[in-house]
Amino acid sequence: MDSMVRNPDVKQRDAAQAVVVAVSSDAIFTPEVEQVHGATEPLRKGDAFSFMKAIQVVNERLLTLNSDETLLFDVILLSNDSEEKHSRIIASAKHYGLDIGRFCFCNKEDSIESLQSNNVKLFLSTDTNDVCKALQKGVPAALLYHQTDPHHQTEDQLKVVFSGDVIGSSEEMLHGLREQGFTETQLQGFKTAKGSVKEFAILMGEMRRRFGLEGSPLCTGLMTAWSSRDVCASALKTLRGWGLLVDEAFCLAGAPRSPILNLVRPHIICLDGLYHMEGFTAMS
Amino acid sequence: MAESKTTDPAATEAGEEKDWTATKAFFDSLKTNQPRPPKPQYAVTIAVSSRSLFNMVAEGKIYKEDGVEKYVAYQQEHDNEPLMPGVAFPLVEALMNVNAGLRRLYPDSDELFDIVLMTNNHAQVGVRLINSINHYDLTIERFCMTGGESPIGYLKAYMTNLYLSKDGEQVIEAIEEGIAAATTFASGDVENQLSDTQLKVAFDGDAVLFSESAIIVKQHSLDTFFEHETEFENKPRAQGPVKCFLEALGMLQRKFYAKNERMTCPIRTYLVTSRSAASSGVRVLKTLRSWGLEIDEALFLAGAPKGPLLQKIQPHIFFDDQMFHIEGAKELGTIAAHVPYGIGQKYHKGIFTEQPAKDTT
Repeated sequence: MDSMVRNPDVKQRDAAQAVVVAVSSDAIFTPEVEQVHGATEPLRKGDAFSFMKAIQVVNERLLTLNSDETLLFDVILLSNDSEEKHSRIIASAKHYGLDIGRFCFCNKEDSIESLQSNNVKLFLSTDTNDVCKALQKGVPAALLYHQTDPHHQTEDQLKVVFSGDVIGSSEEMLHGLREQGFTETQLQGFKTAKGSVKEFAILMGEMRRRFGLEGSPLCTGLMTAWSSRDVCASALKTLRGWGLLVDEAFCLAGAPRSPILNLVRPHIICLDGLYHMEGFTAMS
Repeated sequence: MAESKTTDPAATEAGEEKDWTATKAFFDSLKTNQPRPPKPQYAVTIAVSSRSLFNMVAEGKIYKEDGVEKYVAYQQEHDNEPLMPGVAFPLVEALMNVNAGLRRLYPDSDELFDIVLMTNNHAQVGVRLINSINHYDLTIERFCMTGGESPIGYLKAYMTNLYLSKDGEQVIEAIEEGIAAATTFASGDVENQLSDTQLKVAFDGDAVLFSESAIIVKQHSLDTFFEHETEFENKPRAQGPVKCFLEALGMLQRKFYAKNERMTCPIRTYLVTSRSAASSGVRVLKTLRSWGLEIDEALFLAGAPKGPLLQKIQPHIFFDDQMFHIEGAKELGTIAAHVPYGIGQKYHKGIFTEQPAKDTT
């Protein structure tokens, strides 16, 4: 069971038309090391802060172009915190002027169900495990990229990067991976993730098309970490087929990805289920 | 090389090893004979811009006259039409040939050339670029398309050893970041017949391999220069921006020598300098030796024009810091790349200018 609280300070979006994004409260506000009872000061900014500011810019620009626009970001803050923290979370959101439409308070076990019942188009977390779990349950999810230097992450433009290794690999290629040690569970996980990514990519494509090539508040990118250029090209074409024309593309083919990601500075990375490759420990 | 900027280096390294394992697994599973790209920290990485790899003159015109939207749309419409080879194309093919030799002799080594496409083009233009790469079967597995942003920051991230571009300003930026770089210029109408069995790279000396002496010649007189040279005969010259690339070539050459393939080594290097052997020869050769570098042929022209000699050598690329020599090389069909370093670049035909040289085609 969850308790959904509407934010009175924010104009409610048409949830059926909007891009509903659920963000973990631990990402928006840094979890406190020590719980101080009765504390009232605003919570500290978390990793998702610049993301929140950036989607605000996108929403504002969309409304400037069309005041009746319904394809807007609609944020639900998802919190598993204890009840005494609820009002503090709501107050902090108000303090920072965050564009959060609704607050969803529920138990950790019920989180996935809440996401499913609220037509969430994307669940965001800084925890790779949470993201992978959500993906496996068929909930579209993406990783909030942990930028070590928060000042480097821009708040003027939202940057969304799609991971393309699985999107761009053919059935045959994925089948070939089975011989290389990937498990059936992993391969099934890829299929599910690909389906989730598709829906979100279509929405991003539509939103991106509202703006021109230059000066867009939304920037989209594609990155393949370990596969060949043909897979990257195939991913580009697949995304194009879904209506998403990405602005940037990076094919790493095994090159270390941290230095490159630190330059790309995405706010979110839409995984294909392989980002941390837990199963790989069995192979290496 | 590139620093990993996270708070948990152990986790990053573990993550990177997993990426590498996945890459090996992926390429091993391919039915084709496509070779796996080398590990960047061991490879000699050459980053080429899209306009130096392919001829995009006509498309460039559309960009200039009709703007970026029309340009990207045009490229998308012509997705499946391969682009014509550009100025760096023969070099890339020659690098691939060297790799074939290295793979044959050292099948497990990552000490290979790694060619990366580094462009500020929009990713949608990328489809045509990749289709063109496929058409010519070029071994380019890594690329970076920044959608309008400067690609310079990415050079370090991709561990670039040499960057070639038609944009002089970006080349200067790269050199300022400590990366060997040069501005490529088309060789005009006359084109040399290039070897397809041996990579030939020619270098000017000053401001390309060596650095401070060029400044003395330009700002003082030739006499001062000669005095300086004699006085410092035994002191090695300071390093120029492209010296590291020559070093990398030497490292790969030695791999062929170790397998008794010196006579058929598919890499040959040339020093082509305006100096005279009498005044500078000793210092130049001693410096190279002190750096552990071998150059196959050192040619001192004592002021004679470089064009005719280069025409004989037929290098896949010739590096020089003076536009005067670049133009001389071009006129006689040599592929020349300008290294905008030091005081030599600020003078053109004796006149002080500040604009970076650029191939505006």
